[in-house]
Amino acid sequence: MASSLHSNNTQICPNPTALNGGSAADGKSQISKKPRLYADPPLLFTPSDIISEFSHHDPAVARINNGSFGCCPSSVLSAQNQLQLQWLRQPDNFYFNQLQPKIIQSRTIIKDIINADHVDEVSIVDNATTAAAIVLQQIAWGFAEGKFCRGDAAVMLHYAYGAVKKSVEAYVTRAGGYVIEVPLPFPVSSVDEIVKEFRQALRRGKQNGRKVRLAVIDHVTSMPTVVIPVKELVTICREEGVDQVFVDAAHGIGCVDVDMKQIGADFYTSNLHKWFFCPPSVAFLYCKKSTNNSDLHHPVVSHEYGNGLAIESAWIGTRDYSSYLVVPKVLEFINRFEGGIEGIKKRNHEYVVEMGQMLVKAWGTRLGCPPEMCSSMVMVGLPACLGISSDHDALELRTCLRDKFVVEVPIYYRPPKDGEEGGVVTGYARISYQVYNKFEDYYKFRDAINQLVDNAFTCASLPIS
Amino acid sequence: MEHEDPRNGESPHRSSKKSKFSSNYIPESEIRDEFSHHQPRVARINNGSFGSCPGSVLAAQRRWQLQFLRQPDAFYFNTLRNGITASRMIIKDLINADHVDEVSLVDNATTAAAIVLQQIGHSFAEGKFKNNDTVLMLHCAFQAVKKSIQAYVTRAGGSVVEVRLPFPVNSEEEIISEFKKSITEGKSNGRKIRLAIIDHITSMPSVVIPVKELVRVCREEGIDQVFVDAAHAIGSLKVDVKEIGADFYVSNLHKWFFCPPSVAFLHCKKANASSDVHHPVVSHEYGNGLPIESSWIGTRDYSSQLVIPAVLEFVNRFEGGIEGIMERNHEQVVKMGKMLAESWGTNLGSPPEMCTAMIMVGLPSRLCLNSEEDASRLRSYLRDCHEVEVPIFYQVPKDGEDGVRDNDGCITGYVRISHQVYNTLDDYEKLRDAINQIVKDGKTCKMLCIE
Repeated sequence: MASSLHSNNTQICPNPTALNGGSAADGKSQISKKPRLYADPPLLFTPSDIISEFSHHDPAVARINNGSFGCCPSSVLSAQNQLQLQWLRQPDNFYFNQLQPKIIQSRTIIKDIINADHVDEVSIVDNATTAAAIVLQQIAWGFAEGKFCRGDAAVMLHYAYGAVKKSVEAYVTRAGGYVIEVPLPFPVSSVDEIVKEFRQALRRGKQNGRKVRLAVIDHVTSMPTVVIPVKELVTICREEGVDQVFVDAAHGIGCVDVDMKQIGADFYTSNLHKWFFCPPSVAFLYCKKSTNNSDLHHPVVSHEYGNGLAIESAWIGTRDYSSYLVVPKVLEFINRFEGGIEGIKKRNHEYVVEMGQMLVKAWGTRLGCPPEMCSSMVMVGLPACLGISSDHDALELRTCLRDKFVVEVPIYYRPPKDGEEGGVVTGYARISYQVYNKFEDYYKFRDAINQLVDNAFTCASLPIS
Repeated sequence: MEHEDPRNGESPHRSSKKSKFSSNYIPESEIRDEFSHHQPRVARINNGSFGSCPGSVLAAQRRWQLQFLRQPDAFYFNTLRNGITASRMIIKDLINADHVDEVSLVDNATTAAAIVLQQIGHSFAEGKFKNNDTVLMLHCAFQAVKKSIQAYVTRAGGSVVEVRLPFPVNSEEEIISEFKKSITEGKSNGRKIRLAIIDHITSMPSVVIPVKELVRVCREEGIDQVFVDAAHAIGSLKVDVKEIGADFYVSNLHKWFFCPPSVAFLHCKKANASSDVHHPVVSHEYGNGLPIESSWIGTRDYSSQLVIPAVLEFVNRFEGGIEGIMERNHEQVVKMGKMLAESWGTNLGSPPEMCTAMIMVGLPSRLCLNSEEDASRLRSYLRDCHEVEVPIFYQVPKDGEDGVRDNDGCITGYVRISHQVYNTLDDYEKLRDAINQIVKDGKTCKMLCIE
């Protein structure tokens, strides 16, 4: 095994035009159409550049869980620190003269990346969890103010993120809405399986004269992780007369293609600190311009109330907004990689699939979905003999891997279905690949599991806490 | 003005003892160091708006941030929750709360207001309250709180009564009397008053409100709930939530308690603990109680909530700890206020006992400050041309009343000066001279040139 990082993503490129990701394969890259933010074409990253940009990561850890908390390179952290100091230096001046223009600058960059029509459609918020609260709160008002009938439905995926499910409970169920969960098969073999279940759920939603007021669709589910055919599902929603579609793409930008006009949802949110190298935490919420959804508000109300969601979100009381302001610096960082964000996405996907296949071969298990249905993350079956038989087991195994083997990876418990025979895979690891990862990280994980298997470890032997 | 105790040496040992005989209190030079990141030459007399944070606490914050970035999963599972609990325990003791379950940490008072008002909104929407039942607030309540009332109360069918407080104010009795009048109005036509929102220290204009007395009046009058918006309180005056007896009490820790932006505590009386108060940003912790809900609202930088132990260490380096700081801030701001009023021939907005570390000082009438725009223009001018940062308040003249006058006319503008440990006499002299210069040049607010 050669250098600790792969040679594919680290080249000094003498040709400045190639920096803009202008290869034929990257026709969709919006960044290639933007003028560069800097005068001289910068050198692309060398392996040691990358190591140094992530030198604040614990070097002993096989960090294969970029999906949970993301990562941020030190050049961006530096820029963030500068912004924090600027505020502390003279906060009144910063508040009156700098904060709003800088937020607009970030919003404008995001608008271009996601192919939104107008910067008014782009609000910056803390995270997808906040975005969900914003979208769902307006649904709650719809019920409270009699715009919707009691029992009207909201549809979401069974694998929707825990926070989103609770938000639906807090804002929809509480207000009188009826919630339908779309069961999705896992492991999943094709997009058609998902589409079929979704159609059926929509039909259930419309029974008894109910109207479906909102569909919440993950772009990339969290646990277990699968890429959902959102464009197709949004089309089905329109055909079936669903009022509004909210795409929860927490893992979206930097992980999958994010094109608002193509996807066509009413609302779309993505975290920028997961796969877009921003510091914790920052996300965008896109709201398509339409009379249907002009009533969105940030739940933390400031004096900007009523000035539009984007302006409301840009001031929710005194806080550290620095993570919202570093987006230009992040773009600089990304554009130092060959192919920019498109190149990073492509290579992350390729490597995570390669590593996933290496692991399932080593363990005799299977991937949770076909390669084309995964992004920069993939579910890898764990040996059945580990005996993962509950969520608790999954968490304990994860802790064991962290504490004893210095491997960080989330584990998912997949309950066996009726009729499935013994020896079925009940545990999956969600491995991620990001620019700082190296093959060694996955070998370490492979070897850790092999060692547990060799030692006849089972989750049943874990202490009950 | 300076902490010129000859016993304060440059001792390398930092003692947390408050003994009078200790020579280990933080020397002046270290205080300057701690705030060396502030823009030099700016007379920063507006601690009230955005607060301040010493270098040693910022350093502690960075350590927490790096710890998260280093291995975020381990931090989330093993460290974060305990760190937040430790901070909540310190706050609980500081404010004399009964139980740590009563203490939640949130971003700021604005967030706390949304939390309290959202549950009021639910009660209207769900028919627990009748249409037009009332929420009472002060006329000079913070704008964010007013908008929050609009968003959650008015929208849900509630009505709002504003208590008009006199300004300048001369005594607590004036405030209590107006408050009682508004209660009567709020209960008129068979309405019930569901919530009273009372500032502990109003923002603009800034005055200390007799909250304990007003809460007592609220209880006597059968008002359902009382929410004290004490954004400026902690680190500014003594906070004893049991004594005050409100249902909800919020104070920002980044204003006067040296925390980095931003963090506040929301105290909910135990009787309310099982009630319907939720953080509006819903996470998987929904239903586990407000303190737990607030401790995880999605991936974020929680470091400002974790540095409270470091802040305690900082304040305990001062003689008398936080009490000593509060006392001296109050003394100095009153002294400086009087100095300015005397130099300008104007007045103070309240008697010294009704202010803490901030005070309103009348501006010369010759400035002809006759609108919000004038106030804004003067503030920008002072910032850009005199390097003085101070908020300006425009006092709308009451119909039929002349208001307070100086030798040349009606006083319609006030500065709100603050004093915090980093301030020096220079800061206020700079303001004094700037205003005197403008008056001497015969300029009015409208004539001031700004970028």
